[in-house]
Amino acid sequence: MEKRGHNILFHTHTVSGIVISVALYVIFFAGSFSFFRDAVTNWQLSHKVTVNDQLPLDLDRQLAQIALKHTLTGRDVELNHYYNVRNIGVSLGASKDSLARVEDQNAAFFYLDTDTGDTNTYMESYALGEFLYRLHFFAQIPYPIGYYLSGFTAFFFLFAIVTGILVHWKKIVSHFYVFRPWTKLKTLWTDAHTALGLIGFPFQFVYALTGAFFMINGIFTFPLELGLYDGDEAKMNADLGYAQAVYDSHGIPLENPFRIDPFLEQTRAEWPNFNITGVQLHNYGDTNMHLTLTGKLAPNVKFNGTGQRTYRFRDRKIVSETDPRTNNTYSAGVANTLLRIHLGDYAGTALRVISFLLGLVSCVVILSGVMVWLVARDKQNIPPKRRRFNYLVAKVYMAICLSMLPVTALEFILVKVAPRTTMEFIYTTYFCIWLAATLFFSLRHTIAFTNRWTLISGGILGLLVPLANGLHSGKWPWFWYAESYFDVLLIDVLWTILGAISLWVALFKLGKPNSASKRVMAGQRKLSQ
Amino acid sequence: MPANPKYLSPSVWSRFAKISAALLGGYLVSAMSHVALGHWVDRGIVAITASFSTYLLWIALMIWAFLARNGWKIWGIYLLLLLLLSLAAYIGKLTTGTA
Repeated sequence: MEKRGHNILFHTHTVSGIVISVALYVIFFAGSFSFFRDAVTNWQLSHKVTVNDQLPLDLDRQLAQIALKHTLTGRDVELNHYYNVRNIGVSLGASKDSLARVEDQNAAFFYLDTDTGDTNTYMESYALGEFLYRLHFFAQIPYPIGYYLSGFTAFFFLFAIVTGILVHWKKIVSHFYVFRPWTKLKTLWTDAHTALGLIGFPFQFVYALTGAFFMINGIFTFPLELGLYDGDEAKMNADLGYAQAVYDSHGIPLENPFRIDPFLEQTRAEWPNFNITGVQLHNYGDTNMHLTLTGKLAPNVKFNGTGQRTYRFRDRKIVSETDPRTNNTYSAGVANTLLRIHLGDYAGTALRVISFLLGLVSCVVILSGVMVWLVARDKQNIPPKRRRFNYLVAKVYMAICLSMLPVTALEFILVKVAPRTTMEFIYTTYFCIWLAATLFFSLRHTIAFTNRWTLISGGILGLLVPLANGLHSGKWPWFWYAESYFDVLLIDVLWTILGAISLWVALFKLGKPNSASKRVMAGQRKLSQ
Repeated sequence: MPANPKYLSPSVWSRFAKISAALLGGYLVSAMSHVALGHWVDRGIVAITASFSTYLLWIALMIWAFLARNGWKIWGIYLLLLLLLSLAAYIGKLTTGTA
C-alpha cells in the first residue's frame, strides 16, 4: 500500500480503537463469561438441568402448575425455553374475554421453575449469569442508551479491525512468526497486538458484525421500512421472519379437558432431533384454540434447521408448518446463522471454551493496543505534559479494564456466601467494588502495579471461588462430578484454571522485568510524579 | 510509531468534511443502495441481506472517505451517488410496482 494510505488507515485504526477500547474490553470480558451464562446460573443455584436445548417434556404438568395461580382460559399462553436452566419463560396475553376478572385483563410475564412448579418474577430470578450476560451489551445503562452504546462500539470495532488488517496487510506473511518479547516493551506490545489480532480476526469479525446487527438493527431496518416498504413495518417484519400469526377467539370454551403433550410427541416423532423451544397456545381453552410449536433441529443434524408447526385443536389438523428438514430458505438461513455464530451454541462445551479463550485473547489485543498507543507516544520529542496526560489516560483505562478480573471473581464468591442475592445486591456490590478498585489503581503510580496486583488478587480470588462453593454447599468437585452437575463442575474448574494462570503470570512471568522495560517503567514513574 | 502527520488532513474543515462524509455520507449511500436494489430484485432477499451488508458497505465507504484527498470532493461523490440511487429506486418502483 502506498505510504499515504497506510498512514491514514493507521491513524483511523488508532483513533477508533482508542476511543472504544474501554467499552470494548468490558463487552469482551463480560461477553466471554456469557458463553457460560447458563452454567454460571446453575453454579450459583447448585442446579442440574437434564433436558437441554428444549422445553421440558411434560408441558401439561407445567401448565397445570401455572393454572394453579393464573387463569389461562381466554388468553394467549406462551412457554419459552431461553437458556439451559430450570426456569422457563411464561408469557400470558391479556384475556380476550371482556368479562374476565381485573387481574386477568393484563398481560403477564414470569418464570416457572420446572422442577418445583414455583413461579417467580424476572427480578426474583435474577442471577450472576444474567448480570454478566446483560453487562456485555450495557443493558444496565437505561434503554436504549446502553444498547446503542454497545452497538456502535461493535460497529466501530468492525471498522478498527478492518483498518487494522489493511494496515498489517503487507506484513501478514513476513511477520507471522515474529514475537520479540525480550527486546523492548514497545515491540512486545506491538507483536502481541498484531499476532493475536491477526489470529483472532475471524472470530472478532463475526462478533463485531453480529453484535452491531443485534444492538443497532434500526440502522438497516429504518431506511428499508421507509424506502422499500412505504412505512409498512408489518410487511417488512414478515419478510425478515419476525411476524407471528394471529388467531381470533370464538368465545366458546372447549368441552373436554385437553392435553398438549401428544402434539409435541407427534411432532418430535415426525421430525427426529427437533428441539421444541417455544410453545404458543392461542386462545387457551377456546374452540378456536391453536397450538404453535417452534424450534430447531439439533445442530449436529442440521445447522440451519429452524421449523414451526401450528395445530388447530378441535380437529387436530395441521394448519401451517415449516419443515425444519427442508427449510432451506435464504432468509431463515441468514437469520439463524447470524444468531448462532454469535451465541456459539452449536458445538457443545468445547466450542464455548474455545470461544471463551478467543474472547479473552481479544481482551489482550485491546489492552496491548492501548499500550502500543501509549508507548509510541512516550518519546523525547513529545512535551512532558502531554506524555504525563497520555500515561494518566492509559493508567485509568488499565485500572477500569484489569480490575474486572478480581471484581468478577469476588462477585462469584459474594453470590455464593450472601444469604439472599437480588438484582439490587449484584448491582450494588459489583459496580461499587469495581469503582473502588478503579479509583485505587488509578491513583497508583504505575500501570505495572495495576497489572501485577489485579492478576495476583484476581488469581487468589479466582482460586477461592470453588473453595467458597465447597464451603458454602458442603459439596466438592468430586460430588458434582459423580452426581453429573456438570455446570457446577465447569465453573469450579474454570476459576481454578483462571486463578492458577493469573497467579503464575503475576509471580513468574512478570517477575523479572528486563533492563529495557525497567528503563521505560522508571521513565514513566518519573513522569507520573 | 504513530501515523506520520504529514499524510493526515491538516485543517479542521477538511477533517470535518472527511469524518462527516465517512459517518453520515457513507451511511446514507449504504442504506440507499439497499433501498434501490430492493426495488429491482426480490425485496425480501435484499431486506435480510441488508442485516449484515449495510454495515459492511458502510465500513467500506468510511474507509474510502478517509482515504480521499479532498473531503468535500468525496461528499460530492456521495451526494451524486445518492441522487443516482434515488433515481434508480424511483424508476424501479414505477416499473416493477413494488410498494
